[in-house]
Amino acid sequence: MTTIATIAMIGRWMRRAVLAMAVLAVSAAPALAQQFEKVDRIQREEIPAARFVAIAYGIIWLAILTYVLFVAGGLRRVNDEIADLKRRLRSKE
Amino acid sequence: MRSLGIGFWIALLLAAAGFLIVPSLIVKAPIEPNMGLIQKIFYFHVPCAIMLFLSTFVCAGGAIAFLFKRSERGDRIALAAAELSVLFGVCVLTSGPLWGRKAWGVWWQWDARLTSSLLLFLMMVGYLLARRYGGPAGRKLSAALALFAAINVPLVYKSVDIWRTVHPQTTVVPKLDPKMMPAFWSAFFLMTLVWALLLTIRVRLERARAELAELRLDAEDDLAEVRT
Repeated sequence: MTTIATIAMIGRWMRRAVLAMAVLAVSAAPALAQQFEKVDRIQREEIPAARFVAIAYGIIWLAILTYVLFVAGGLRRVNDEIADLKRRLRSKE
Repeated sequence: MRSLGIGFWIALLLAAAGFLIVPSLIVKAPIEPNMGLIQKIFYFHVPCAIMLFLSTFVCAGGAIAFLFKRSERGDRIALAAAELSVLFGVCVLTSGPLWGRKAWGVWWQWDARLTSSLLLFLMMVGYLLARRYGGPAGRKLSAALALFAAINVPLVYKSVDIWRTVHPQTTVVPKLDPKMMPAFWSAFFLMTLVWALLLTIRVRLERARAELAELRLDAEDDLAEVRT
């Protein structure tokens, strides 16, 4: 009895799904068709190659320069601290 | 800076000359018929990728010296190389999508080469994070991570031959037009020089930091003696 009821329920759901899909297909078809418009002159997407090349090189050299400045700054700071500490240690002696 | 040695200053001079010569060679190189002007990114994109691989191998070498021989110098070299991996990783992963946007029409493709390159980059970022925030075991943890990253490098390189991918294959450089060779090799040597110079000054910074830490300990000991 339960099996029959389950099969019947699945059948009902399948009928509803098929009906829903048919309704959606019928209603969507004109909507989709209305979105197509005739264009006389096709505008192609133009990606500026020269600008992209310049940006790529710019990013590479900027990254390297930033790193050089970061390391040089760190080196100067640490060297200053070393000199300061050495001076203080010498003055204590 | 005087103690950097004559080799450093010669390399610096050569790099400065390279910055003047290489761009003119790239401009003079013929334009690739299929991709056009955007192909010129290749002359720096590929050397940056090679420097990423080289940095990862050097990092792993330093990590092995640190893990198995307790070499502090190895550890310093590993840290410097890891930072360079991240630096050149940034260069590769920004110049590549710019090239891809024009050549393939998309910024990014989850194909084998791009994904494995991103993973390699993230591994090296992981190295730096583990080292900075890993606590007392951070150095060992990051060294182990560097070994995994080095194992990933051959996979990144061969990924274009093993799997189907939109990225050009490894045969591109050997089959390069002879007229494009001067631009490519000069850019490659310039990038190698820059890499060597950066590694030298970064290792030097780490050595100076170690010296500073020792001096601070000495200063603290002296203060303790004065107090007692």
